[in-house]
Amino acid sequence: MQLSGDRNRILLVDDEKAITDNLASLLERAGFAVAVAGDGEEAMERAAAFAPDLIVLDVLMPKLNGREVLRRLRQEGDWTPVILLTQVGESTERAMALEEGADDYLNKPFDPHELIARIRAVLRRRGAAPGQKPLAVASRLRAHDVILDRTARQVERGGRPVELTSRAVALLEYLMLHSQEVLDRERLLDAVWGWDYVVATRAVDARVAELRRALDDDADEPRFIETVVGQGYRFVAPVEATS
Amino acid sequence: MNGGRWRRWWPLAASLAPLMLGLLVALLWQSGLFPDPLLTFRLRADVGSLFLLLGALLTLLALPAAAVAVYARHRRARDLEAARAAWADDRQRFLRRLDHELKNPLTALRAGLANLVSLDDGPERDAAQASVETQLMRLNRLVGDLRKLVELEQRPLERAPVDVGALLTEVVELARETPDRQVSLALPQAPWPLPPASGDQDLIFLACYNLVDNACKFTCPGDAIEVRAFEDDRWIVVEVADTGPGIPVEDLSHIFEELYRGDAARAVEGSGLGLALVRAVARHHGGSVTVRSRKGEGTAFTLRLPMA
Repeated sequence: MQLSGDRNRILLVDDEKAITDNLASLLERAGFAVAVAGDGEEAMERAAAFAPDLIVLDVLMPKLNGREVLRRLRQEGDWTPVILLTQVGESTERAMALEEGADDYLNKPFDPHELIARIRAVLRRRGAAPGQKPLAVASRLRAHDVILDRTARQVERGGRPVELTSRAVALLEYLMLHSQEVLDRERLLDAVWGWDYVVATRAVDARVAELRRALDDDADEPRFIETVVGQGYRFVAPVEATS
Repeated sequence: MNGGRWRRWWPLAASLAPLMLGLLVALLWQSGLFPDPLLTFRLRADVGSLFLLLGALLTLLALPAAAVAVYARHRRARDLEAARAAWADDRQRFLRRLDHELKNPLTALRAGLANLVSLDDGPERDAAQASVETQLMRLNRLVGDLRKLVELEQRPLERAPVDVGALLTEVVELARETPDRQVSLALPQAPWPLPPASGDQDLIFLACYNLVDNACKFTCPGDAIEVRAFEDDRWIVVEVADTGPGIPVEDLSHIFEELYRGDAARAVEGSGLGLALVRAVARHHGGSVTVRSRKGEGTAFTLRLPMA
């Protein structure tokens, strides 16, 4: 393992050696400098010593689990981007996700190339405002006249509540947290639904249509959600944390 | 539900019965239909005998109550034991099936990896690699479907009106890509179009898709598959019927079980969880799924979902 100044440093934390061994070599070949930790306590030590640009963190680990590691880092004011290897389920877990402020989530078993793509996306997004609190910890997000209250799981537009299904709210949340990024349907499905689907297009497109109807968004001249033909969707409106 | 309520209240009913009977007899006699002689008793007893009599009377009253309680406890224990045994059986069966489902892709993976190591670049190596990837995806799908099943039991259900007709139209369009099957869809227009169901559109789509996909998989070229939906009382009913080979009687009661495969289903690709998922979705919505089938004639699945 060689460390060089211009390569992004990734701290890989998982108690399964078969996973870290293979992922580390893959990430190194993708151009990252990689350090590995086998449990939560080691992760805390390495996070301090190695000063990673991003941490890939498994949740189920002995001693100190991934969630606890993340909570401690954040309590210490450490805003290093984190990709958590778990899925965000329904309400309770979402509330937890908000509290812990991970930058992205990935379900096991995942495609390793997908992990690389997400690492790059998070680094790009967070590179714009290094060391600052990510949007992921904001409890209210705003884009134009739309406000998403992540705790209450409610959406307002121009001060008036918008009626949406819970999954449409979750989709809007994910889109807003990854604004300006092209997100393909498989990824949205994995992040928002948490499972694969016979026809990814169907599930995602139906909810995007619901969002567009509710936000009065025109697919041809989108203010919020743009269709990127052959690729997926992109949230085009600027998003900011609001109180 | 009704049975349970009766079981809970019958001791009270039984204890009230003598009083009611007495009241009835008293009313009958007072109505003057029968002669009503005045009976006079005189009781003389020493204190000891009185207490003996009182004790005997109380015991006489308490004995049936005790008998009922002992019997009830015995029956509860027996029911519990039966449920536990059934659960253990289910678990055993599930683990055996899971073991079986994992064995094949893992064997293929080991063989594929051995080939990858020993083969030089070329079409054969490409084939080995493709086969390894196929098996990985197969395991991936199995794990994904297992997770869906677990999640279905845990996550709260989203309740919104779902246009089942539109959803079936999409499912049928997808199914028409299967060659040599005549897939038809019948949706009511009169006296009014199909009302919406109440539930999670993604889950309902999944259930309908699995039923139609199942019909495509288990029929032969030239077979017809009819998909229809209608309302029945407070239910939206979706039926997927086919003219396929039918399901053997011995398999019928098992096909909704996780990872169950009848002999006919062994050669068919799938996670073995498709129908189990349909059942889980139906139950999660407070609905049901049933099947009727005749060997050599065909099969029909009926999915009932609550109307919005």
